[in-house]
Amino acid sequence: MFLHILKYELKNGLRTKDLMIWLILFPIALGICFKIAFGSIYDKTEKFSSIPVAIVEENENEAFRQVINSIESSEEPFLKASFVTREKAEKLLDDGEVEGIIFSGDELSLTVKEKGLRETMLKFFTEQFTVRERIISDAIKTSPEKAQEVIAALTENTESSCRDIPVTQGNPDLYIQYFYNLIAMVALFGCNTGVHITIQNQADLSALGARNNCSPAHKSVSILACLAGSFIMQTFCMILCVSFVAFILKVDFGDRLLLVYPAAILGGILGVSFGFFVGSLARVGEKAKTAIVTSAAMLMCFCSGLMMANMKLFIAEKMPWFNNINPAALISDCFYCLNIYEDYGRFISKLINIAVITVIFIFLGFISSRRKKYASV
Amino acid sequence: MENTVVRIKDLVKRYGDLIALDHFELEIKDGEIFGLLGPNGSGKTTTINCLLSLLSFDKGDIEIFGKKMTPVSYDIKKEIGVIMQNVAVFDELTVYENIDYFCGLYISDKAKRRQYVEEAIKFVGLEDFRKFYPKKLSGGLLRRLNIACGIAHKPKLIILDEPTVAVDPQSRNRILEGIQELNRNGATVIYTSHYMEEVEQICTRIAIMDKGRKVAEGTKDELKRMIKNTETITIEILELPGKVLGEVAGLPHIYDADYVDGRLVLSCSGGKHNLTRVLDVLHKHELGFGRVYTELPTLNDVFLEITGKALRDKED
Repeated sequence: MFLHILKYELKNGLRTKDLMIWLILFPIALGICFKIAFGSIYDKTEKFSSIPVAIVEENENEAFRQVINSIESSEEPFLKASFVTREKAEKLLDDGEVEGIIFSGDELSLTVKEKGLRETMLKFFTEQFTVRERIISDAIKTSPEKAQEVIAALTENTESSCRDIPVTQGNPDLYIQYFYNLIAMVALFGCNTGVHITIQNQADLSALGARNNCSPAHKSVSILACLAGSFIMQTFCMILCVSFVAFILKVDFGDRLLLVYPAAILGGILGVSFGFFVGSLARVGEKAKTAIVTSAAMLMCFCSGLMMANMKLFIAEKMPWFNNINPAALISDCFYCLNIYEDYGRFISKLINIAVITVIFIFLGFISSRRKKYASV
Repeated sequence: MENTVVRIKDLVKRYGDLIALDHFELEIKDGEIFGLLGPNGSGKTTTINCLLSLLSFDKGDIEIFGKKMTPVSYDIKKEIGVIMQNVAVFDELTVYENIDYFCGLYISDKAKRRQYVEEAIKFVGLEDFRKFYPKKLSGGLLRRLNIACGIAHKPKLIILDEPTVAVDPQSRNRILEGIQELNRNGATVIYTSHYMEEVEQICTRIAIMDKGRKVAEGTKDELKRMIKNTETITIEILELPGKVLGEVAGLPHIYDADYVDGRLVLSCSGGKHNLTRVLDVLHKHELGFGRVYTELPTLNDVFLEITGKALRDKED
């Protein structure tokens, strides 16, 4: 009986166009939109390129020249310096070929044409150099014996504050967060198949539900078969979604892509269970149930930052507990933890959270659906 | 009784202040085509839903095949075929798959099921539509599919709740003939409808319902014998003086006489040659007349006389 119902649940589900549109085509379209919209912004704003700067040496400053040479010889230099005359430097700045002019004399000074992130970085660099140069020269004047110690300390400090610390091979930027949320949204859209389970099995919701309740199939068997069918379909959609994002859109999930799949699949199962739970609770019609569950899923996605990336941070500040029970936030956090943290502790903790909430939803859904007679049909 | 298939005792179902079933009682014997006849809202579908243990009720007992019917009476459910008022099929499954799905809830043997499904398809005449999806079927064909899904597993008791609503005459006749054939093959049938012609045509016994109560029960002849009217005579006549109308109304066995819009309508109770006597009066007064016809009482007359209202609205 179980396999018979499961077989037809799968056949019916896979042929349901609405489900396929929302679970496959819509995420693909949205993923492409994200890629087009945020991919270019990311390339422009997030990917760092060297800042072109003109340097005018008014007095010879050997230390400054050494620092510049040292920066330019690094693997990813943040400065691209041109030692030129004042006139040439001003022309380059006017033409927009450099972001600023550093005048190297007794003291460093900076001239910029506009205000922006790169100009601020140049300002920070010149200020830092001036401060450190002064500390070292003061140390040489007052305690020459400790000068070497001071230089070593400043150098160490510089290295520790600038060093890139790769915790994983992942991609911890805001841009990729949109794709985590997209996968979370697909997972939560499974709620529609979850609602469908209750509609198909409750006599007061549909003619099909009434008809099924007249059959000798045990209700628990019927519900379990439908749940299994929905889980399988949702799993298929999640695998497709993650593969599309990873291999077609080429979004970098780091070196843990294989762990993204089980997390996405578990998220999908949570989505189906959520729909099943809400569907079995609300004493309203089929359309109203679908509307309620879809709205709830969208609201949860909104709170997890799908539409506004800062929303999750806002919730984390004002209602931190909500992110621990919001399925959308849990699913996207799961991916985030996987990508950001080297150890698996947080990732596993999020997975356990998802699993526990899934079990609770299924259990409560069962309790609510096992009602055998209805007050009205 | 040994051959009682369904027994409903003192059934009461309330929806808030509304009493949907008011101490309703029913007994259906093996081999019957039992009709539940009543206007919309009379409680027919509520009775069926209580019978199938879909609906909770406030009071009463229901037994099917001599056993108490409960939601977990799976052994009883196995012997029941249900055709709901609203078509209950999967939109994304073909005709064959839909019938196979529902048959599979009752029959686990695949070979046997395949044979049953084919027989059901043939029975309802959907041989040319087995790969069609329900959306592609006309209303009549969809109803036939609904029936096939309900009877494919060869149940002993078949419950049909208004199966011919919004069905074309051709499909309706096919459905009614099919129900009689199922009955001839040994199934007991419960048939609800507000179409009295259908109930008269196929049912061996009928219960008339109104406001959740059973107002009459019996064979169609027994029901018709319950009422005063045995014959209605209608004569089209251009002009009828009041004096003549009074004379006609005073004839033996005529208990009601009306002359409206050029039609003289006479209700008779028993007696023979009522028409001859009326025509003799008209000849005597040298009154010409047009069409003359007599009608035997219908179930609508039975309902009208018992409840004081028509069984269904004219637009039905």
